[in-house]
Amino acid sequence: MNERTLSYALLVPAFVIVIATTIYPLAYSFVTSFREWDLTKQLRPSGFVGLQNYAHAATESGFQNSLWVTAIFVVTSVILTVVLAMSLALLLRRTGRLHTFTRIILILPFAMSPALIGVSYRFMFNPEFGVLAKGLGAVFPALEGTPWLANPDLAMAILVITDVWHWAPYMTFMCLGGLASVPRETEEAARIDGASNLRIVFGIILPQMKGVLLVTAVLKTIFALKMFDQVVTLTGGGPGTSTETMAFFIFNVGFEWFDMGYASALAWILTIITMVISAWYVRMLLSERKMATA
Amino acid sequence: MNKYIAYWGERALLVLISVVVLFPIGWMFLTAFKKPRDAYSLSLNFEPTVQNFVTVFSDPWNLGSMVLNSVIVAGATVAIAVPCASLAAYSFSRFRVRGRKFLFFLILSTQFIPAVVILLPFFLMFRSLGLLDTRVALIIVNLAIVTPFVIWMIKGFIDAIPTDSEEAAMIDGASRLRVIKDIVLPMAAPGILTSSIFCFILTWNEFMFALILSRRDAVTLPVGLVSFRTERGDLWELMSAAGVMITVPIFIMALLIQKHFTRGMTAGAVK
Amino acid sequence: MAEVRLVDIEKKYGSFLAVPQQSLTIEDGEFLVLLGPSGCGKTTTMRMIAGLEDITAGDIQIAGERVNDKPPKDRDIAMVFQNYGLYPHMTVRQNIEYPLKLRKVNKAERARRVQDTADKVELGTLLDRRPSELSGGQRQRVALARAIVRTPKIFLMDEPLSNLDAKLRVTMRAELKHLHHELGVTTVYVTHDQMEAMTLADRVAVMREGRIVQLDTPKRIYSDPADLFVAGFIGSPSMNLIDGAVQDGRFIAEGMDLPVSLPDRDEVVFGIRPEDLELADGDTPIKGRLYALELTGESTLVTMRAGKTSVCARGHADFEAPINAPCHLAPKTGARFYLFDRATGQRLDG
Repeated sequence: MNERTLSYALLVPAFVIVIATTIYPLAYSFVTSFREWDLTKQLRPSGFVGLQNYAHAATESGFQNSLWVTAIFVVTSVILTVVLAMSLALLLRRTGRLHTFTRIILILPFAMSPALIGVSYRFMFNPEFGVLAKGLGAVFPALEGTPWLANPDLAMAILVITDVWHWAPYMTFMCLGGLASVPRETEEAARIDGASNLRIVFGIILPQMKGVLLVTAVLKTIFALKMFDQVVTLTGGGPGTSTETMAFFIFNVGFEWFDMGYASALAWILTIITMVISAWYVRMLLSERKMATA
Repeated sequence: MNKYIAYWGERALLVLISVVVLFPIGWMFLTAFKKPRDAYSLSLNFEPTVQNFVTVFSDPWNLGSMVLNSVIVAGATVAIAVPCASLAAYSFSRFRVRGRKFLFFLILSTQFIPAVVILLPFFLMFRSLGLLDTRVALIIVNLAIVTPFVIWMIKGFIDAIPTDSEEAAMIDGASRLRVIKDIVLPMAAPGILTSSIFCFILTWNEFMFALILSRRDAVTLPVGLVSFRTERGDLWELMSAAGVMITVPIFIMALLIQKHFTRGMTAGAVK
Repeated sequence: MAEVRLVDIEKKYGSFLAVPQQSLTIEDGEFLVLLGPSGCGKTTTMRMIAGLEDITAGDIQIAGERVNDKPPKDRDIAMVFQNYGLYPHMTVRQNIEYPLKLRKVNKAERARRVQDTADKVELGTLLDRRPSELSGGQRQRVALARAIVRTPKIFLMDEPLSNLDAKLRVTMRAELKHLHHELGVTTVYVTHDQMEAMTLADRVAVMREGRIVQLDTPKRIYSDPADLFVAGFIGSPSMNLIDGAVQDGRFIAEGMDLPVSLPDRDEVVFGIRPEDLELADGDTPIKGRLYALELTGESTLVTMRAGKTSVCARGHADFEAPINAPCHLAPKTGARFYLFDRATGQRLDG
């Protein structure tokens, strides 16, 4: 076998998997998104209905709501995660026993099942016996008896907190990786030139971290757009529909209402939104890289 | 004086971070060893018991079968995805073949796809194939999630290995396949192991697919958590015991790869 | 043992021409050094011989056989890499043994040859260590042992000494030379270090921008450089190259006035080696002020400046004078000097 054939042959098994488990289902759901298919009434899809499912999405209030919920969730969780991760990385890059210990345990939140995170925060914010609800009430008496997860804004805030708790440590590792490639010399030169710590961070380190921070932001955005697990186990989408993210809403359309056509159309809208945002990030990243190499 | 404040301030901050990270985990572990009565009090003064673990492993919860399902699904997914991904990653890393960039981009872009979009067709397909509530179904969908990611990760590791040793082996008389077996695999082993553990963690924690594709026989641990929500309310002490069962093996694995973690993650991303 | 012929070979990366069309024959048993600055195509040329890079056009023949389409493993070559290319997961013994294993040499024979080779490069006691437990020089020896454990038709060495410290480099250089003498295998050696090239080579091919600009014995490369580039590249300290003009049969530059046999022209570069200059008194053709003195041990490097002209001469180790003192230099009797066209670099004399 020559090198060329081999190079393609090595790709075959992986591509069989990707085609069978991703490309084919994608095509399947794309086709379904143009059909009417109510699983409670019919076992097989009936005829094509053109863009009707997509048109429905434009007017339906449940979906509009989920768009809004997702937007708020994505923006807050991405900003908080990236800022926190970068700050933690700056704090943790030094050596020291406490630093090392903190770095090691930071891997735990990432390894924890998101569904379980939702469950445990639900437990801790239970107004009657939740340790955080009670603890906050003890420190700030005004907060005593706050029905945390029954308040739409607070429920959203807690959802964001669980997500940041889950992802910020992981993103900290990415930032630490990026910091490791920032040459120490520039920082030391600036220090000798008399720059303050704050100046070094904002003037020397952060500009060199732009690429890494962008990558972190892209990944976090993609993950946030998929938010599902904690919605199920923490809030159940409530109170009301105040934490129904798109993934959760689509899931309900598919598996509570069994409207496969509409659910497929919504899933494709989410896919396209994700793609557009990713493409936008990639363009920023490319121009950033061009500037870095120029 | 300023230096003194900075020194202790930094340490106080680190302690605070550790507390924020460890508290929810620690509280779950404590609750798992509390009697139901104690679970609803905040007292740290309780008589520890393993009764909760006994309960979750017996009828009607049967956590044992969920553990088995989780182990089989995650294990099989790793066993299929990692070898296939390693070969592809090697090809992407070392050959300058036509269309390589496009194919790699195709693989990567599948990572941007929200899982829910392929969940619907999988549900429909498995329903007509009679595969609902089977481990096979869960393995197939997990492959979809994990494979592109593992290719990307292992490619990062292989990219970081200098090509010198491989070229030396080719000149010493080894064929390309022999080079892969004798040189690349042993050298990439730490990276492949890290990726395998990563892949195991992702599959082990996977929730959405398992929630809809399993009902009774193939239920995995994260979905099992939901079953502790009963008409009598949430059974926190049992949930916590189950949570401990979910986290302990994963925490051990995660701590094992902690050192390689940053490298693997950023190798592909940052370069 | 074999002769290597590169016939009209060419290498392109996309539209970038790395090595333009050219030919080169390496004689049987010869030690040929490819010398040039980084990025000059010397490593690419060697990798084409090895089969690690495809050639875009032309033919490569080893021992009369065309090997263009043969993978590296079938070319019967051995190579020592700049970063050694050791197998980090194998012991020294396994590293050296690997090429024999691939050739299905039986176990007893393998053990014997590994031991012989290891003894030859003084690794006999380190056979059970891993590369990570060895020093740079020892790693270098393992790479060498792995190459010589079988008797290939050709040795290829890609900057094998560049990762060693200066002292070790000199020792290893002598060992390589001795080894080549002993084994007599055709060797192609890539380096950017002109000292290595001069000391090791039977012939040196000086490369620049992908092209071989001069192919000759070290002696002739030194005494008769083909152009300005080779002149400046060979020799340490390097040849003095002074911009000036020829008027009425004399080379004129700031602080310089010297008879030459060349018709009048501007834009001339005058070259003379520091070894060919001596300190003199009175009215010498090169005059200026002392700029720096560097004692090297066996001699003192005297740098003189006059306006833009800077000239270095190798003087006696005992020479001493205050900086900025007037300085007079003259060519030694029988000294060689060279004249080049400044724009093209071509030799104008001889």
